[in-house]
Amino acid sequence: MAAPIQGISKILCRISTPVLRSLVINKPCSQRLVTLWARSGPKVELLGRRTFCTALPVKDDSPNEAVVRYKDNPWDYLESEEYIERYGKGHVWADYRRNHKGGIPPQKTRKTCIRGDKICGNPCPICRDNNVIIHHQNVKLLQQFINPYTGKVYDPTRTGVCMKQQKVLNQAVNMARDHGLLPFQIPHVEFLAEDFSNSHDAVGSTPTPACLTSGEPWYTWVSPNDSNTSRL
Amino acid sequence: MAALGAARGFFLNYPRITNVHKNKHIFNKCCIRPFCKEASDNTSTEHHAKPQFTDSPVQDILTKITGLDLQKVFRPIKQEVKPPVYKLMTDLQLEEATYLAKKQAQKLLKMPPVLPERKPIDDVISVDKILDGMDTAKLVFTDITFNIPHRERFIVVRETDGVLRKATWKERDRLIQVYFPKEGRKHTVPLLFKEENLKRVFTEDRHEDVLNLCLVQFEPDSSEYIKTHTATYEDLEKHGKYDLLRSTRHFGGMAWYLVTMRRVDRLIVDMLQRDLLDDAVSLVSLFNMVHPNSESAQEARSQQASGTDLLKLQGQLEPVFRISGYRQGLLPEALHAAASRTTHPVNTQPLIYMSPLLNTFRSVRNETATPASAACKQRERRST
Repeated sequence: MAAPIQGISKILCRISTPVLRSLVINKPCSQRLVTLWARSGPKVELLGRRTFCTALPVKDDSPNEAVVRYKDNPWDYLESEEYIERYGKGHVWADYRRNHKGGIPPQKTRKTCIRGDKICGNPCPICRDNNVIIHHQNVKLLQQFINPYTGKVYDPTRTGVCMKQQKVLNQAVNMARDHGLLPFQIPHVEFLAEDFSNSHDAVGSTPTPACLTSGEPWYTWVSPNDSNTSRL
Repeated sequence: MAALGAARGFFLNYPRITNVHKNKHIFNKCCIRPFCKEASDNTSTEHHAKPQFTDSPVQDILTKITGLDLQKVFRPIKQEVKPPVYKLMTDLQLEEATYLAKKQAQKLLKMPPVLPERKPIDDVISVDKILDGMDTAKLVFTDITFNIPHRERFIVVRETDGVLRKATWKERDRLIQVYFPKEGRKHTVPLLFKEENLKRVFTEDRHEDVLNLCLVQFEPDSSEYIKTHTATYEDLEKHGKYDLLRSTRHFGGMAWYLVTMRRVDRLIVDMLQRDLLDDAVSLVSLFNMVHPNSESAQEARSQQASGTDLLKLQGQLEPVFRISGYRQGLLPEALHAAASRTTHPVNTQPLIYMSPLLNTFRSVRNETATPASAACKQRERRST
């Protein structure tokens, strides 16, 4: 029982060292990876390894606090100093650059930045900032992702948004348009060749047909002429 | 025999009935039975029958009032962007291009129909007790032949208790949208038409968008269409934002609504403030056409008034239904202001504007006050 666990821990250690090296390069993710490491900490402690989990509980609180701050009113974040300092007057996605191999980026962005508790390296413009919340009433944020000239939502390859958030964004934009928060182009309707008199049987009133009941004659009975019967 | 004659009459007149543009007044008059065309012809003279929205003099006046601002009609919309095209034109070519643009604009500004609310369909075709309880769900049978108008399409519902009935209007609209989806129309009614959302949109001055969406989503004779239009027109009238709809296809409908409700005074004042004297005059003539029994119409006919005299008569004689007090001589003041701006010679005698506490005031006026004393009272009230 102990032997396979020891083997797993050796593999974990082997993986962790290159990961820790890349930690130095990729700073923002270091906090998240350290939390991961801490989560696997107790297992490793059992086998006598040291963990790096001393400062973690404090770090865990601050992201949660930020989410709580703008959860009910995400539109307030776009007026706050924090936002202006970070993004200035440009779009939320303006300074984001995707990491990919080669000159041509893949036609789809990544499926999602956050899988459970793990955040990827270089998360998309929406996932990297907890306060940027996509909500159908957060009109200013939604408008940053809509082309002002064509009225269409930008492609995710242009904004860098992950596919999951792009779906959420599309739903929010549709809901906002439904509520009337976002203006959109309405097609022109012609009323030329339509007859509105409602005189046709399909839509007008028609008298109910006589119900057939068994025993009653369904044809009009015409009694024969007297002169004809007298000849018989 | 009579049926044959009637059928022959129907078939002879069928092209006239379907040719909507040329004979608009027919289908409004004989709504239910197209066989009575001969009878309607006798009664459709202008003086006796109430003028309808589709009458050509009414339509002419309404198109004139709507105006034709090419800059507003062809303002840039959000669409697929193409590189701009620059053309060098001579004056003649420019005139031709402007003429074509005006023709296109007139097509775009064609007014949507104003109809009474449609009567509900509640016809039972047959009752088959033998089918009672056969199924747990209602079955709907729709005729999906492509080349028949939607209003002639048979849609029937077999209920769970065996009753075969025609589908109601809502069911009809829903099913026709399923089988023949219309561009821009949604299966569920957009939440924009809820009251709170409507109020917010009105504060943003997007009345035209609301009306366009209403045209796309609802049928012209449905109750939601009429309710939304009424709400929009009421809001416009309340805040006096008539200019939002000028040079759009909805201005005619709004003007017609106000004329039928006899609340044209604020619109006339707005026109005068914008120096649209001819429009104001034509609006008053339309009012007199639609309400021939009103005092101002009768006076106008007796005096053969035209032009600014019509406006003065309107200001003098037309009682105004206002909930929040009465405006003191607003129409005559506006007339004076417009006259001073333009070069039209206007009679500058003081005018008496009647209060909306109407019938009582009028009876009092008949008994006691002379016009001069009433004018004095008006001046006193204005000074206090």
